[in-house]
Amino acid sequence: MLSIKQLSKTYPNGVRALNGVTLEIPNGMFGLLGPNGAGKSTLMRTIATLQEPDTGSITLGDIDVLADKPAARRVLGYLPQEFGIYPKVTAEAMLDHFAVLKGVTARGERRELVDALLKQVNLWDARKQKLGGFSGGMRQRFGIAQALIGAPKLIIVDEPTAGLDPEERQRFLNLLAEIGEKVVVILSTHIVEDVTELCPRMAIIAKGEVRLSGEPREAIRQLEGRVWRRAVDKAALAGYQNHMTVLSTRLSGGATLIHVLADSRPEEGFEAIAPDLEDVYFGQLRHAASSKAA
Amino acid sequence: MFKEIFRFELRQQLRSPLFWLIAFFLGGVAFAAACSDSIQIGGGVGNVHRNAPYVVVSMLGAFSMLGMFLIPVFVAGAALRDFTLRSDGLLLATPVSRPAYLGGRFVAGWLTSVLILVAVALGYWLGSLMPWLDAARLGPTPWSAYGWAMLVVVLPNLFFLSALIFLLATSTRSMLGAYVGVIGFFVLWSVARASLGGGNIDHQDLGALMDTFGRGAFELATRYWTPDDRNTRVPELTGLMLGNRALWMAIAVALLTLAIKTFNPARSGWRVRRRHQQTAPVAPAATATPALAVPRVALGAGAGTRWVQFRKQAWFDMRFVLGGTAFLAMLAFGLLNLGGAFAFSGQMFGTTVWPVTHQMAQIMAGSYTWLLVLVVGFYAGELVWRERDANVSGVVDAFPTPDWIPLLSKVCALALVVVAFFLAGSLVAIGNQLLHGYTHIEPLLYLKYAGLGLLGFMTLAILAVVLQVLANSKFAGYGLLLAYLIVSIALSQFHLDDNLYRYAGAPGTPYSDMNGFGSFWVGRLWFAAYWYALAAALLVLAALYWVRGSVSGWKARGRIARARFSAPAAALLAVFLLAFVGLGAFNYHNTHGLYRYTTHDQDQQQAANYEQDYRKYKDLPQPRITDVKVDVAIHPESRRIDVDGHYTLVNKQAEPVDRLLVQLPQLSARDTKYELDFPAHTASIADAAQGFYLYKLATPLAPGASMEFGFKLTGGFPGFANEATGTQLVHNGTFINNFAFPHFCYDENRQLTDLNDRRKYGLGEVPRMAKRDDAAAHANNLISCDADWVHFDATLSTSKDQIALAPGYLQKEWTEGDRRYFHYVQDTPILDFFSFQSARYEVARDQWQDVKLEVYHDAKHPYNIERMLKAMKLSLDYYTKNFGPFQFRQLRILEFPDYSSFAQSFANTIPFSESIGFIADLRKASDIDYVTYVTAHEIGHQWWAHQAIGANVQGVTMLDESLAQYSALMVMKHLYGPTKMRKFLKYELDRYLRGRGGERIEELPLALVENQQYIHYAKGSVIFYALQDYIGEDKVNAALRAWLDKVKFQQPPYTDTRELIAELRRVAGPEYQNLITDFFDKITLYDSRMVKATAKKRADGKYEVTMQVHAAKFHADGKGKQTPATFDIPVEIGVFAKAADGEEENQKPLYLAKQRVADGDSSITVVVDGEPYQAGIDPFNELVDRVSSDNRARVTIK
Repeated sequence: MLSIKQLSKTYPNGVRALNGVTLEIPNGMFGLLGPNGAGKSTLMRTIATLQEPDTGSITLGDIDVLADKPAARRVLGYLPQEFGIYPKVTAEAMLDHFAVLKGVTARGERRELVDALLKQVNLWDARKQKLGGFSGGMRQRFGIAQALIGAPKLIIVDEPTAGLDPEERQRFLNLLAEIGEKVVVILSTHIVEDVTELCPRMAIIAKGEVRLSGEPREAIRQLEGRVWRRAVDKAALAGYQNHMTVLSTRLSGGATLIHVLADSRPEEGFEAIAPDLEDVYFGQLRHAASSKAA
Repeated sequence: MFKEIFRFELRQQLRSPLFWLIAFFLGGVAFAAACSDSIQIGGGVGNVHRNAPYVVVSMLGAFSMLGMFLIPVFVAGAALRDFTLRSDGLLLATPVSRPAYLGGRFVAGWLTSVLILVAVALGYWLGSLMPWLDAARLGPTPWSAYGWAMLVVVLPNLFFLSALIFLLATSTRSMLGAYVGVIGFFVLWSVARASLGGGNIDHQDLGALMDTFGRGAFELATRYWTPDDRNTRVPELTGLMLGNRALWMAIAVALLTLAIKTFNPARSGWRVRRRHQQTAPVAPAATATPALAVPRVALGAGAGTRWVQFRKQAWFDMRFVLGGTAFLAMLAFGLLNLGGAFAFSGQMFGTTVWPVTHQMAQIMAGSYTWLLVLVVGFYAGELVWRERDANVSGVVDAFPTPDWIPLLSKVCALALVVVAFFLAGSLVAIGNQLLHGYTHIEPLLYLKYAGLGLLGFMTLAILAVVLQVLANSKFAGYGLLLAYLIVSIALSQFHLDDNLYRYAGAPGTPYSDMNGFGSFWVGRLWFAAYWYALAAALLVLAALYWVRGSVSGWKARGRIARARFSAPAAALLAVFLLAFVGLGAFNYHNTHGLYRYTTHDQDQQQAANYEQDYRKYKDLPQPRITDVKVDVAIHPESRRIDVDGHYTLVNKQAEPVDRLLVQLPQLSARDTKYELDFPAHTASIADAAQGFYLYKLATPLAPGASMEFGFKLTGGFPGFANEATGTQLVHNGTFINNFAFPHFCYDENRQLTDLNDRRKYGLGEVPRMAKRDDAAAHANNLISCDADWVHFDATLSTSKDQIALAPGYLQKEWTEGDRRYFHYVQDTPILDFFSFQSARYEVARDQWQDVKLEVYHDAKHPYNIERMLKAMKLSLDYYTKNFGPFQFRQLRILEFPDYSSFAQSFANTIPFSESIGFIADLRKASDIDYVTYVTAHEIGHQWWAHQAIGANVQGVTMLDESLAQYSALMVMKHLYGPTKMRKFLKYELDRYLRGRGGERIEELPLALVENQQYIHYAKGSVIFYALQDYIGEDKVNAALRAWLDKVKFQQPPYTDTRELIAELRRVAGPEYQNLITDFFDKITLYDSRMVKATAKKRADGKYEVTMQVHAAKFHADGKGKQTPATFDIPVEIGVFAKAADGEEENQKPLYLAKQRVADGDSSITVVVDGEPYQAGIDPFNELVDRVSSDNRARVTIK
């Protein structure tokens, strides 16, 4: 159980990255959803002991993550957003080196571990290749392999699927799902499907604040009967946006489709649809925007 | 478009704080150089004005070399701006032309560096206006010199560097490429410099041309400039100077063109092509992954784990460095530099020495000095930022690895860099030794030097790492390191040299084959321990501030550091700091407690006080030493000495002597003790600090009466001092002289001699040597102020395995316990000038008539012993035949360690440094045999000093040094033939002409020389050789013999140069009286030029050679101001046939005769038998001529 209480962080340039973030995260996959700049990475980095909050506390079981970083690091697996590699080193050698740094120093044990991890992330056949030649997906899987060294209790993956093609993304998510059964896995993303497909629990974060936290199914259920759709004229779009809570607009077959949040049918021509997580997500973002404005 | 890009770039540059920082800093340094004595740049010393044109040009030239370090910042920054900001994609999409884009960036970067130099010039100019400056040391502001320096030196130099670095930056697309370029360039430039300054004057034209900065050409053009020249002239833009500038500008333009032509913004930089494929392999099929059991492992955290982690990380970092092309490039450059240093080092008169291991190792250490500072500083930044640059830090920073593991790994990797350089260098050095057929290779010694190198560079490496960690920005880290280097250089400039506060400071470790490192390594290691304790404490600090993740700001970092400051960290820090303090106390005890440590200011103040308080006793009537009987116990292992001495003093004055002035030498070790024992007295002055004592004798010493004076001296060199001290008393190769004994006169050698120092302490004009007609000054000879000729008796003792030597004949030798004793007596009176030597010697013996010849040498140096013995015989032959009998029955040469590099002549005893002849490599017959030359010179002193010694007045050193030079030249001439002498005399002429350029007080004619080495040695050689060529060797020798017969073993008043010159005039005949005046009594310079030589083959097969010659003569004053005179002496005219081997020295003269030529231009025609090749006026450079290369010309045959 990871418990985050009242975490706040303001950068020297005045940007408020985290504002009283409180989250209880049990074992299993936990999706952290939010737009770019919402504070996800700051939160991830803070949990991963790489950044200091101004106030607040983080505990993982008995470990006070902020006070006893070495203890937290021993049970932590972290795959940062956009992590680099040494291009001239082979996957096997790199993973071996990382294992040493994590504390697996017995040679035989380490070899077995490295082999098993490479097999698990399906990089066994590529183990002798230099990392510089890896594709984005292979790289991310390698990243997961290193995060898994030493059976961590808390795994943090920050925006892992950005830039992956659909197939690679799917493979990567499958891998995560397998791991996420016994330990805390926090998956930060701005892609709603990632969460929909994988996470029994989630939180939506915007402008440094937690907008919603719970099970995706429960959140969707709360919107049932309140999401409406219609095709509109492009010129009229601005009018709708002024009068209604427009969740999303998208072009579909030459027409502009809008989703609107309303307790009852807003006007003729709107049809009720079954909400999905994306509607929940946009609902929270619109809400955050309007509450800020008010 | 060019204009917009240029303007934009220049604005960017001028907006950067770095530009202003550098401009203000360097401008400030230049300002300080102009208006204070603490910083000396450009050579505005002595009679040269502070703002002399020469100084301005030289100073701006020196600063333009700093361009090496500035330009990467400005030019490479400009070239790479779009790529570092990743705006290159945008650039690709715009229609800007390549030349406009690159040209704009380039010109702006170049101009920015030029502006820095403008700030320097401004700073210097402002400095020269400061009101506190002595008006006598300033000339009018030399606007033309500023302009000349800017146009001829600064702009082209910076242009070349900019072009080079621009090309490197645009093609490698990396700052690293630019830095490697800088280092490589630095190395190549050093090689060119070494070839110019290496002591071989035959390479200097090439060296001057190759010197990118034109400094070599500038130095060559100004090397003979007198102070007057320096104050009024700038070099002409002709000849080598013009050639050099044109060459490098052309190369710069070529580089720039290449940069523009090859620039391709779509390419990402050079990459070494690899054979294996770089493309992404096809990922394995996306099947459901089988659920695999990953073995559970325990994460270790114990000491064993940490050790493995540290080892692995260190190895990982080392491979990063060693595997990089940049490292290999730097190493290759370093080795190339080293090869250059080997090729040009250790030469004397162009002759090389055997590549003995310690010289190889020292050259290596020397050539690495600045190079490794750059390399280590650079890699400190690269390593500390390695994870963050590769963006791996997010992963590894979250690992449970302690902070100190990466930190220490970086330090280890840097150590490997240093070790790699030293080991590779050692291999190159060994290769060089084998190449020269030298096989006594000492691998262990190379290792020791590598160890010393490591010890020195690692303190710097640790500091660089710590600064990188604390600065938390690579460039700020480099900046701090640069600031540290500048401060440490400034400290030396300000003479702040106490190793207790100079980071990484330690005494030196001089090495000699005879004595190894002796005990000099002791102080080195204690200071290393002291500074490593601090470095370790700094590393603890760095570990506390080691950045993990994204932390910035001192407050946040301080919070983390406090959190990390656990009990073990605190304990470690405390231990290191305590060790630092404790070792500091111990080192203080040694350098300040056991030794007297004085600052430069204190030394000067002491010298000033000495002069002010005691100069009034300079002419106090004193008794004189007539007998010396000493018992000298040398303890080589403990480096101690006990002297039990005894003088007999006789009052040779007409008046009674009632006061005895005793001057004791000041040794730096505190436990030196003197005990004096002489008739009843009271002390009226007892100044222990100055060693100056004045006693009132209870019973005045009557004229002609004598008194006994006993003294005991015990002392030695315990522990260690701030500098390597006591090289005269060592484990093997002790060499001390009687200056360590009490004397009875004011010591003029202690006085400050620099005009500006003297002004600072209110001491007035520089005390000069007594005038030649000062009758009172004729009471003392050159050597002693308190003795004439003395009887000498010495008992020496040393360790059992050593031989101890002093002048005199060995009476008895015996062993007592573990000590060996020698009793020497000199049965005829000698000068009050003795040496005491002790070492483990091999002895080579020979005989010349009834004289025993001996060479005492180290077993490692057998090379030139036979040559020395032969030179001894040749010298004795020539000197006894031409000057008079040899006064001793033995003659000995004694090797001493190369802590000093000279040979010296005591009565029948000649100490000879191991570096000055024992290791000369004379296998090549064409090389100058300076072993024979130096030997003959020193033996010459057995006549010229030990038989005839002059009064201590102007000209006295002509009587011993110039005559010894002449004697040696004659031995050489008869051994090798007159044509070979030219090569040697060329060096002497060069040395004289350079020496007069550096004169700080006043140049004097040879007959009035005031102990100026460039005059009595170098000019003495040239003048006396020419003299014997003009008036005849026999006549010169006859004059010398006549003079010697007159003054031999003379009592006061002593002779001076007037008597010798009178003898020369007597033999010379009327036609050479003017020549003698010009040679001895005036400073005379000749300008002989072979303007053109043509030849016609006549019908009878002979050739008629017509020569257009120019002959001029000048007289110069003491500051170098020349006035024309009439060329009125015969001059040698020569026509030469081509030598079979092409060597000039082997050309056969077809015609060679001295003849009168008209002053100015004239034409001479001679007829010769063979085909002429060269013609020359004064072809062997006998006369003092500032341009010796135009005396010969090729003959054009019509």
